[in-house]
Amino acid sequence: MKMADGSTILRRNRPGTTSKDFCRWPDEPLEEMDSTLAVQQFIQQLIKRDPSNVELILTMPEAQDEGVWKYEHLRQFCMELNGLAVRLQKECSPSTCTQMTATDQWIFLCAAHKTPKECPAIDYTRHTLDGAACLLNSNKYFPSRVSIKESSVTKLGSVCRRVYRIFSHAFFHHRRIFDEFEAETYLCHRFTHFVTKYNLMSKENLIVPISDGENAAPGESEA
Amino acid sequence: MPRGHSSNQPMNNSRAGTGSADILSFVALLKNFQQGRPSIPLDTHDVDANCDGPDLDFVYSDVDSYQNEIAELYSYTEYCEFQSNVKAFEDQMELYDLPPNWQKQDSPSQRSIVMKLIDQLEVSNRTLRMQAARCILYLAQGCWAEVQSDEEQHQNTRDNVIVLYDLGVFSSFIDLLNMEIESACSPDIVAVKITNVTLVDSTDIRVILSVLYIITETIRDEREKASEDYKDLAESFVQEINSPLTDGELLAVKLLGMITRFCSGAAPQFPMKKVVLLLWKVSLLGLGGMDVLKNLKNEYRLKVGLDPIKEDTLEVTKCMRASSPPATATDILENQYPKRSFNRRSLMKQRFLDEPEQIDMEMSGNEGSGNANNASGNNGGSNGEEELLQYYRPFDDPSSSASNTATANPNNQPSLTAPLPAVPPVQITARLPWTPKVRQKDIDQFLDISRNKFIGYSLIGDHESLAGLPQPIHEGFKTLQRHMYMSLADMQIKKEEDIARNPISTHEDEIKLTPAEILYQAILPNLPQYMIALLKVLLAASPTSKSKTESINIMADVLPKKMPLTATQSTKLTVDMGRHKEIIVKAVSAIILLYLKHFKINHVYQFEFMSQHLVFANCIPLVLKFFNQTITEYVNTKNNIPLLDFPSCVIGEQPDLSGDSFVYGADMSDKPYSWRNVFSCINLLRILNKLIKWKHSRVMMLVVFKSAPILKKTLKVRHAMMQLYVLKLLKMQTKYLGRQWRKSNMKTMSAIYSKVRHRLNDDWAFGNDLESRPWDFQAEECTLRACVDRFNLRRYPEATQKCGAGGGSGNNGGGGTAAQNAENSQQSNMNAGNGYGGNNGGADSNGYGGNNGGGGNNSGNNQQQQQLNDYGVEGGFPSDEILTHSDFAFFGHSGWWDRKVELTDYFKANYAVWLEEEVYNSQIDWDAL
Repeated sequence: MKMADGSTILRRNRPGTTSKDFCRWPDEPLEEMDSTLAVQQFIQQLIKRDPSNVELILTMPEAQDEGVWKYEHLRQFCMELNGLAVRLQKECSPSTCTQMTATDQWIFLCAAHKTPKECPAIDYTRHTLDGAACLLNSNKYFPSRVSIKESSVTKLGSVCRRVYRIFSHAFFHHRRIFDEFEAETYLCHRFTHFVTKYNLMSKENLIVPISDGENAAPGESEA
Repeated sequence: MPRGHSSNQPMNNSRAGTGSADILSFVALLKNFQQGRPSIPLDTHDVDANCDGPDLDFVYSDVDSYQNEIAELYSYTEYCEFQSNVKAFEDQMELYDLPPNWQKQDSPSQRSIVMKLIDQLEVSNRTLRMQAARCILYLAQGCWAEVQSDEEQHQNTRDNVIVLYDLGVFSSFIDLLNMEIESACSPDIVAVKITNVTLVDSTDIRVILSVLYIITETIRDEREKASEDYKDLAESFVQEINSPLTDGELLAVKLLGMITRFCSGAAPQFPMKKVVLLLWKVSLLGLGGMDVLKNLKNEYRLKVGLDPIKEDTLEVTKCMRASSPPATATDILENQYPKRSFNRRSLMKQRFLDEPEQIDMEMSGNEGSGNANNASGNNGGSNGEEELLQYYRPFDDPSSSASNTATANPNNQPSLTAPLPAVPPVQITARLPWTPKVRQKDIDQFLDISRNKFIGYSLIGDHESLAGLPQPIHEGFKTLQRHMYMSLADMQIKKEEDIARNPISTHEDEIKLTPAEILYQAILPNLPQYMIALLKVLLAASPTSKSKTESINIMADVLPKKMPLTATQSTKLTVDMGRHKEIIVKAVSAIILLYLKHFKINHVYQFEFMSQHLVFANCIPLVLKFFNQTITEYVNTKNNIPLLDFPSCVIGEQPDLSGDSFVYGADMSDKPYSWRNVFSCINLLRILNKLIKWKHSRVMMLVVFKSAPILKKTLKVRHAMMQLYVLKLLKMQTKYLGRQWRKSNMKTMSAIYSKVRHRLNDDWAFGNDLESRPWDFQAEECTLRACVDRFNLRRYPEATQKCGAGGGSGNNGGGGTAAQNAENSQQSNMNAGNGYGGNNGGADSNGYGGNNGGGGNNSGNNQQQQQLNDYGVEGGFPSDEILTHSDFAFFGHSGWWDRKVELTDYFKANYAVWLEEEVYNSQIDWDAL
């Protein structure tokens, strides 16, 4: 679908857009984006250009509010993680993976409930992604996407911690799916870089080995 | 004045030490109360000669010192658990291949460790989870095993709390708390018998609550100190506790729910002390303490167009001095000894000497102005004295020279009125501790009486016109008006009335979601249960309560599994148990007072709702019962073993704990009173004042429960603020106590006179005003109830319906006033034909108790006894019970009297079938009920 050639380019996927043309519009520098969703647009643009260039994607533009930057990235992670969750659904069912485990020592509780409880892995995945979406879209904690309260930024850590377990479960129990997904999106790679860069998780808890040298899997912490 | 200085002075000093010698008159004495300072040096050196001891140097504030507040979190029996915290930390560090030393880690590594611990908190294995929790507790406790001094430990706590809160430990622990609450109601645990619950049963939950408490209290303390590094963190923390948790519940409500569940017996292992302490601190931090209250009150007053408050009770009482205790012992002597007259005379004489204000009380009628003159002469006749003279003359002159008034009026007039406008009234009255006040209602009454007397008819609703009234009435009216005080509550009530009258045209401002408003909305659906639960815990912790029919066991979190064997150990346990109870009383009393105060300024009907439920749950007799002990002993109790307090019990060289001496040893040098007990006493007295003030029906409860002797005993505690609140309570009921009581308690009467705020026109001591009819007390309570219900129904329709109260009062609320509403519903639904007109009192007045059919008598003892029965009391005090929800339905609670049951036509047609199936055919196992 051709966008208007001259004056304006509408960056929208209209009904009937073919998959070839999906999201296919020219890049735009961040400064020219005239929208409250500029940061999200910018991140998505970088990802689309080259998902493997994790460094570039995570490089914060100058004069960017760090809280917003972290928030938008985490939002993006959760959105893309849904792709992994969909693939996992084919293989991971409450009967095969009855508990949320990565390595076998620790069973994690699902924090999405009033009282945390043991959910099967796939339910943990769904509940956690839903919970994260709720939190990140909540009017109370994140009323604006232009500036973010310091108190809300601290909430991001716990989302990362919980979401990461989805990667580790997929890696240790559904390796094929994980590898396929990772080869396309480099999502776990990017996520690991992200939480390391912004110190949102302890390195020792990042148990999924990452291909390139600098973040090679550290020793697992024992129970 | 014939009495000479020289002869009086020694007597004065050697006795109670209330007055310095040069003060002979009332006026000068008041000056002394206000300024206080000049007499202090004198006071200190006659302290030794004073058998009653000096005034307590207790300063009332929101909390005790941070160190004490932290130390009170732990009971002494928890001592061994400190070691398991450090053990958990060491084990954990070993897993991480790190040296077991927190301070050697750099900041990134510390953060990383905490993050790993938080990760572990979400593991399903309980042992692992609790190990991480203990580890975090150890960090919050300031890594005491690595330090040499208390300061270092405190510093570590400070630093660690920043890291912990920053990384989200607080919310993680709330999740843990949720899990504990949940698992507490699984049936296998409830099987434990209440009396068998010990410390061991609450191990995990205590760890969780301790972490939450330390974080809260540390942030609160640092916020108070305005520490720079805590500023942002504290703000976001306050925001967090004032907004619902992720499950939609407020933290305070969750904790209140825990107390309720504990009281219902469903969760006997909940460690009540830690729960109430946490609730207290969370509420204090969320709502704000005394300063916040003061500012808010002024802010709200300004908003509705009232002047800010100029007098701060706490500040004024700081400058007051305590009265010497009333001579209870000598009173008894007086009544018992045969040589009564002699005795009394000598006592009288002595009392005369140390209580100049009493002299004044008796003589002012004749020589009041003389006294005043004298005093001003003595004191060098400063400006202030002159003004004061002006102030007093209008009262004195007419009595001493009644004939003058008419003739000398033209002469007198300028001298009376001229200085008054020039000087603001506050300055004039600066000699009394308080500016006198008067309510609009009192002015109206004054005008009404005057009009009836001089003109012969009343002008209802006219607050001003003075036509036809003589000059002295004008003067009196002006004085009254100058002292009129409009409270915030008056404005709020008026607004409510307006809205009720013109529901459409009256515009209500948007309800601001202040912390108090959020809290009220959150607790409204279950407020009655919460109040009952709080009072139950308070009752169980009262020193006077007997442990006979204990439905709840608040000692579960002190009692160790193994009972002590040696004498030392059991001494220790006794001290520990006493301390435990005191701390609970302290926290609960502080919570109730804090809520009452915040609701009161937020909206008076929120306050009334809460206080009515407190009254229904027997709060008044409970507090009186609390004071019915040797209060001076309670104030001086030393249930403390400083060596065992955290952190001294774990830092540095451990003292030998086998000897008996440690129990008392180090304590003697400390304060001569127990901070927390004085604090609790003042809180409870303030609660009582809050509940009773301006509520005639509740004043009658004070009388009925024979509170006067109890309160008088409480006066023995030499602390001005505490005495003030006691005196206020006595003042309210003085006129019902009878001539005999007043005669034998002149000293108390003068203390009231000099310390409690004067209400102009209020004949508190001898009066017999219309308000005091003893039979309309339940009407008053019902009127109030109707107003409160209407308020709740209008503002919070959903919550009110959930609450099940006041379901119907809104239906007929459109037209009539509140009073009419109450009257209607009362007449239609209660069989309380108990005489609004008060014709004979013989009607069946079963409003309160229902156990006294008929035959009431309006006068004397009979009436009183009947009221006792009405309140469900046989002989002085009610049994130890807090009324449960259903029990106080007869108070008009739970809306049974205004709820209309609508039956469907179908039901009406087929009710016989229903009767057959539901009633006759259902088997009831009566033994099981």
